[in-house]
Amino acid sequence: MALELNKLTKDVNALGQNLAERLAALAEQLPAAQTALVGIGVADEALLRKVAAARQHRWAGAIPTAEAVGESFPLPPAPARYNVIAADGSQVYPDRHGVALYYLINIGSIVFRSGLAQAPSTSSEPEVHYEEEDLYEDEGGQKPKVKIDAERDRAELAELARLAEMEALAGPDHSVTLLDNGLLLYLSLQVDDQALIRELLNRYIDQLDRLAASGAAVAGVVDRPRAASVVRLLHLDSLAPEQITDEALRRLGDWERLTDGALFDFLQPGERSALFVHASPANEIYYAPRGHSLYFFYVIAGRNGKSSLLRVEVPEWVARDPERLNLVHLALVEQSRVSDGFPYVLMRAHELAVVTLSERRSFDEMVMGALVRQKLRPGISQKAQGKAWTGAGRRRYP
Amino acid sequence: MDSLDTAVTIGRLLRSSTTGFVFGCSVPEPEVPRFGDFVKAPAQRGRTNVIGLIYDIVIEDDPFVRQMVATRDLDEAYILDQRENRQVPIDVTVLSIGYYAGGEDPPARIICGLPPQPPVTLDSIRSCTPAEILDCTSSFDYLRLVMNSAEAPVDELIVVSLRKAAAVRSPEDQLPFLRSAGRELAKLMSRDLPRLENLLRRIRPA
Repeated sequence: MALELNKLTKDVNALGQNLAERLAALAEQLPAAQTALVGIGVADEALLRKVAAARQHRWAGAIPTAEAVGESFPLPPAPARYNVIAADGSQVYPDRHGVALYYLINIGSIVFRSGLAQAPSTSSEPEVHYEEEDLYEDEGGQKPKVKIDAERDRAELAELARLAEMEALAGPDHSVTLLDNGLLLYLSLQVDDQALIRELLNRYIDQLDRLAASGAAVAGVVDRPRAASVVRLLHLDSLAPEQITDEALRRLGDWERLTDGALFDFLQPGERSALFVHASPANEIYYAPRGHSLYFFYVIAGRNGKSSLLRVEVPEWVARDPERLNLVHLALVEQSRVSDGFPYVLMRAHELAVVTLSERRSFDEMVMGALVRQKLRPGISQKAQGKAWTGAGRRRYP
Repeated sequence: MDSLDTAVTIGRLLRSSTTGFVFGCSVPEPEVPRFGDFVKAPAQRGRTNVIGLIYDIVIEDDPFVRQMVATRDLDEAYILDQRENRQVPIDVTVLSIGYYAGGEDPPARIICGLPPQPPVTLDSIRSCTPAEILDCTSSFDYLRLVMNSAEAPVDELIVVSLRKAAAVRSPEDQLPFLRSAGRELAKLMSRDLPRLENLLRRIRPA
């Protein structure tokens, strides 16, 4: 064992104490923050002017809609029949120390037909990429991880679109499609190349076009959200118009360290919060012009005593369509009831997508066999071999 | 041995030794696999078939299933997903009791005893046909192998296998067969009369 746990006991105790203190401080802030949220009600002209001013400073807050920002919305009634479709992806990045250079994307998906006593349809679709043009950039160098991630994200959404189109052809029942991630891709945090960002996002948004045309709803789900978008709105509300500056907007004022998750803990199981528009510049630049401006809300999913708060991102054509919005709300809560706070179909899609270490080893053995049949002499690098020898745990005398 | 190729596969081999094997299958059908069933697995690259008796069927759980167990009013679709789609294998353990030796000329004959080689991973496991069960139980040599098993629930396995062996015989042959089996058991268990009495009572036709 390389990690000497006995040397960490003091730090671990301090970590626990620190967390307890921070939670106590947050608990003191919370009642005032929730009162301020409810006090806003439906955003008035003055607040909307402040939001417009803040957006000039690349403000990453929550833009209020026509719904009262502190209101909670009960679980809508369930239709007799609807489909819940989920997809998730996993990837194996190229490893220059491995037996051969390739990368692999595996997409797992499930179609759950609520109201029918039949097993859901499931699928797992792996794709391996090994051609020169798959692995290397035109200007040289290995394909960056961000591009592989973007391919995986696009493939997840494309699978949802494909399944939604198939279900639409199969019958009149409505479908909700779910992703285990927000719909807003934060590519600008990972790359500077604006042309590349545009290309990757457009390919992603093409799939949202397909989903919108299919008649299905789509939602991106984030568990344990750390965002403070609505908290930023509270802070903005507390500023006078002349106080709206880059510096002031970077901070959260009275609500420092508070998150939306804590703020919305007044929601009851099954309830959702008001809808907000995502104020991210990427939303405004890439999503909104193509009719997919992203909204979000929070929902308490699961059952009494076993629930959790989810952040849910939906495009405007779902947010503005009460039928599709209600179906997303209902499907998330119903699906999370059996799996204690996170949608069952997303858990299953992950299970169908994930490439385990042993599966990766088996695949590498298949690759090695193929290379040997070509009379090649494959092998991992000595560095990888060393890691394999030492990674299983150090042997030592007690 | 012709029937070996036509019988339906009920599972595939997970691990094996000369004394027995474990195979995996998905959700069990009502009729297969069952405790005490006679099953067969190919060995020695198909030259022989190992015959065995199922003595344990284990359905494993996992954390996902454990969590769902506590959910009230579980929709049928969730249950079917877990049973039919998720790859939670059902482990079926088999005690080897004999094997077929020889081929078409001379015809294959059953040998009661441990096979020269165990079946190998992913081999198809099939139910024995009535003719094969008749073959295996034409003598009672297999009972000694069952009695020597350290893992199997010996008495239960003897009772159930003898009843199944009787059931594949014609009605007029069933009672004589069970009487012969009783006599064989009396020889094998002469030093344990209470146990023998229990077994004889349980194999006696109603």
